[in-house]
Order: sequence, then C-alpha cells, then structure tokens
Amino acid sequence: MAKPLVFIRNSRTRLVLASMVLSTLLTAAVLGLVYVTANRTIAGETRSVVTAELTGLADEYERLGMIGLITAIERRTENAAERDALYLLTDPLGTVLAGNLTSWPPEVEPGSGWVELDLIRTASNEPVPISAASIRLRGGERLLVGRDASARRQFDRVLFRSVALALMAALALSLLTGWLLTRLVFSRLKDIAQTADDIVSGDLTRRIPLRGSGDEFDQMGATLNEMLDRIEELVSNLRTASNSVAHDLRSPLSRLRQRVEALSDPGRTGPEREADAARALSEVDHLLRVFAQLTEISRAEAGLGREEFEPVDLGQLVQDVVELYDPVAADQSVRLQVEGEAEPVRGHRPLLSQALSNLLENALRYAPPGSEITVSLSDVRGYPRLSVRDEGPGVPETELPRLAQPFVTLDPARSCRNSGLGLALVAAIARMHGGAFAAENRDPGLEVTLSLAKQAA
Amino acid sequence: MSRRLLIVEDDSETREFIAKGFAEEGFAVETAPDGREGLYHATDGSFDVIILDRMLPGLDGLALIKSIRAAGLKTPVLMLTAMSAVDERVKGLRAGADDYLVKPFSFQELHARIEALLRRPQDTEEAAVLTCRDLQMDLLARRVTRGGQDIALTPREFQILEFFLRRKNRVISRTMLLEGVWDYHFDPNTNVVDVHISKLRRQIDEHGNGALIETVRGAGYMMSDG
Repeated sequence: MAKPLVFIRNSRTRLVLASMVLSTLLTAAVLGLVYVTANRTIAGETRSVVTAELTGLADEYERLGMIGLITAIERRTENAAERDALYLLTDPLGTVLAGNLTSWPPEVEPGSGWVELDLIRTASNEPVPISAASIRLRGGERLLVGRDASARRQFDRVLFRSVALALMAALALSLLTGWLLTRLVFSRLKDIAQTADDIVSGDLTRRIPLRGSGDEFDQMGATLNEMLDRIEELVSNLRTASNSVAHDLRSPLSRLRQRVEALSDPGRTGPEREADAARALSEVDHLLRVFAQLTEISRAEAGLGREEFEPVDLGQLVQDVVELYDPVAADQSVRLQVEGEAEPVRGHRPLLSQALSNLLENALRYAPPGSEITVSLSDVRGYPRLSVRDEGPGVPETELPRLAQPFVTLDPARSCRNSGLGLALVAAIARMHGGAFAAENRDPGLEVTLSLAKQAA
Repeated sequence: MSRRLLIVEDDSETREFIAKGFAEEGFAVETAPDGREGLYHATDGSFDVIILDRMLPGLDGLALIKSIRAAGLKTPVLMLTAMSAVDERVKGLRAGADDYLVKPFSFQELHARIEALLRRPQDTEEAAVLTCRDLQMDLLARRVTRGGQDIALTPREFQILEFFLRRKNRVISRTMLLEGVWDYHFDPNTNVVDVHISKLRRQIDEHGNGALIETVRGAGYMMSDG
C-alpha cells in the first residue's frame, strides 16, 4: 500500500533537487558573467583614462619643461572634481617634486605598466588602494598617475553582494517552482497510484479521477480507465462463467447420476434400462457440448485461429448458412429473408459460419409462427455488418447488455439443448475479428448485429 | 481376407475399447501406445486403415501423419482429437488426415467413418448413373427418377442424395453429412440435418414403394439396396 507513495516521495525529492541545482548553476553562471564583465569594463575605463593622462603630462613636459609639468600636476590636484586622481612626480633619486602622494613606492619600476598597490595620500596620511601606471621622463624623473581604487572597491563589494543576493533569490525561486511543479505532477500520479492500490486490494470498480481539463494526464487517465473497463468486464465474465459452470453443470450432472443409479437397479426392465442409458448419454452429450463451446469461446477470445484468416465472401456465406436453416424455419412456419450485401472480408470462414448459425438458431428459438427472420448485410463506411432480426418478443432493455455473457439464457424454461453460450461465442468471434456484438430491440423483435473490423481497401 | 487396422492411441482404455469393437466387426487389429511405435508399424505398409490420436507421447499425431505421408504411404488415416475447436479440426485435415473424429465419440460413429474410408477407392466415381433399387440418378443430366417418374430436387437435395448413393449400405452420421455436404465443421445445436433428410425423404419416397433412407438409432442414416 505505502510502496508507490514512498517511491513518489523519493523521486519527487530527487526531481526538486535536480531542478534546483540545475537552475542555480545556470543563474550563477549568468550572474558571474555579469560581475566579471562589469569589473573588467570599469577597470578598462580607468586604465585608458590614466594612460591618456600619463601621455598628456609627458607631452606637457616635452613642451613646457619641468616647470610646465609641475604646474599642470598642481592644477590637477587642486581640482576638487578629480578627488580620486592621484599624481606623483619625483626626481631620479625619488625626492618628491609634485603630486598628492607622499613617496615613490620602492617596488614600482617606472614604465613597468599597470600596478595595484596601497600608498599614502598627502591629505590623509592613510594608506589607500591605488591603481596606477608610471613612466620615466627624459631627464630621469619619474612620473606616476593613478586612481584611488577605494570607490571602485566599494562598488565591487556592492556588485558582489547584489549578485549573491540575486543568486539566493533564484535558488529560492527554483525551489518553489520545482516544488509547485512536482506537486502538480505528483498529485496526478498519486491519484493513479491510489486507484491502482484500490484495484490491487480488490475494488475493480475504481477509476482514475479525471479533472476535465483534457490535458495529457486526463488523456492518459481516460485510456487507463478504458483498459480497466475492459479488464473488469473480462474478470466479471470470468466470474460469471465459472460460477455458472459450477451452477449449470450441477443439474445435468445430478440427472446423469440418477440415470446411472437407476441402471444399477436390478428391478428395472430391459426397455427401462435402455431408456435410462439413452437419457444418460444425452446428458453426457449436453455436458460435452457445453465444454466444447467454452473451449471455442476462450480460443476465440484469445485470438487463436487468426492465422487461418482468408478472404470470405459474406454474401455466399450468408446464403449457405441460410440455406442450411431454411427447412428448419419452414417447419416452424418462419420465413428466412436475406437482404443487402457487403464487400469481402478477411476472416475465419468456419467460425463466421458458426456465428451466423448461432444467431439464426437463437432467432428461430424465439420467432413466432408466421413471422420473418431477416438476415441483412451492410457496409457502414467500410465496416461490414451482419445482422439477424426476428419478430419475436425481444428482450427487456435491462437484459440487453447481458445477452452476450456466457450462460445467460432469458428463457426461464431452459431447454436442454440451449447452453446459453451461443451468443457469447458470437461476441467472442466478433472480437476475434476486431469487431463488436450488439443487440437492440426493434419492436417487434430483436436485432443482433455482428460488426467486423474495417477492411483495408 | 480380413481388413487390417492400426490403432495408435496412448490412452489404454480407449485403445482397448476401439480394438475390441473392431475385432468384433471382423477386423485384424494392431495397436501402438505411442507415436514412435505407431510410425514403426504404419510404415510397414500392410494396413488398410489407421486410427491415430492427435496427442501422443513421443511423436505428436500431426507430426506422425506428416511422416507417413512423406514416406509416400497413402493408407487412409482417421484422426482422433480431444480438441473440438473448429480450427483444430481443419488443421488435422490439412496435415494429411482423411477424416477426423472429436473425442469422445460413439463407437458407431467411428465405425461408420472407418467403413467410409475403406470403401473410398471402390467408389463409383466414374459412373454417370447411380442407382438404388428403383431410384436412378443421372449425374450428367442432373436428373433423378424413381420408378420412372421424375423427381424435382433442389441442388442441395441432389447433393445429399448423391452423398447417400455413393455410400450405399453404410451408416452415415449427421456430422459426416454436415461435413461432406455443407463443409461445416461445427456442431449445430438444432436438428438441421434431420430436417433436411426428412424433406429429402418426402421428395423421393412420394413416388416409390418403401423408404430408401432409414434412420439408424443413435448413429445416423443409411440408404440400403435390399
């Protein structure tokens, strides 16, 4: 009972986790890319500005000499708008000539490219993070231009925090969607599992609830329900059949027992014994006939004999069987009528003959004298049909669906020769041919139709 | 010379029952309890007719009959089968059996069929006219007369009558008629065959003296010369 549900719970957890990990990885990759790109862009911007400034100052030095350079540097350091801009000009020995930094960092060789380091600003005496580039001027002086990186670092931290936050949000979201999605899927699966459980514990009438949305789950549920209908029908037929076999064979067997018992009675005369033996034989024959028919039905149900299918001219088949029964009908003052036609079908000729024979025997059993039995053939959009209609009393509407079930005889005074299996065999033969059996009241009379599978043109 | 019959049947009770019956009818009977021994006896070729069970230990009945036929033996074979299903019956005939009988059967039915198989070659196949007492059937003109008087028969009645005329003085069961005349291999629940026969009887006995087709109780019908 708990097994399928546990399985679902496990697989549900797995599914949620997998979807979460996947979407988190994806979000992390995207955010990481944004983070790295933003950093790179800002760094590149700073670099190009610093490089341009370094070139500009070098030009100034070439044009106006050392005085000009110092003036330019001083002008720039005094500009309040450029608080992050850092400059340092020293003589070849490292003595500061101009700028807003306290001293030349010993680890920096002029012209060695871009460096990141902490230096002390003249204004604050605090070390600040700096990104800078430097050159050695023609006279041996060293010039360093940089940017205070603390603002950028700040931005960096903010960016990082936002990215991390976004990632966490994505994580939470993927958890939520995964949970919701699997809840949707698994609630439907749980319905199916629950139904299956109920059926396993014996309630064959249970069906998978449909939500009427027509979605894939509903479609699958409907298909499974159809399958369950068929299984229930088969199982109930089987139950009825085995119950009926037990019940129906009891009376002929007990009659047989009486006859055999009578035979051993020394008081019986010769002719009496002969009569007993004859009746015992006829009981045995009846039992054998029932068994033979049961075998035939189960073989047809199992589709055995399909390899014997051949082209069958239904018109000819009907004519032959009707001809066989014509004198029997005439004896009862019943007329047999044939109408319509149908295309040839692929089928089991002997079994189709037997099916029609059973239908005719059934009709003859109920046809009143002076009435007609009509055998009609038709082709309804490529589906060949064979109907037999009598003008008898018909069948109560409620009994119609039970007509083709084994051992159902609506005749309360069950005749010895009527096993109640005739129409069940017809229905089995119909199914074997991919078709169906149907019975309808025609007022007066009953019309029984054997429809066959659509024939390939 | 007595006619030789081989019975291949694994169920000893059935085997003894059949053997005793045919021995009483004047047959020289040989029996085999399984397929291999059956094949051994059958290929010795001296039998007039073989009764063969469909399901046998050692060698299946269908396989046995195929081997016999492959060996070029034309001995008539009647197959006994416990499988009453229509297509099972047809399968036996396709495999090369000349006739089949569904178990359980009455000895009379089996006897009638064996007699029919034995007389097959002597059939009046070439004859253009079949007769029985004062009844004449002209196969070419499709004409039947009794005591010189024409009898109008339907094609089916003609066929039934021909079936009887070719098997005079032999018992013909209802299933034999159904198979031989209509080629139906199922058992109808009603007495269809009886109705056809009584209709035919009315036609042919109307102008003659004495019934030509008699009923054999528990077995079927017989048309006799005498």
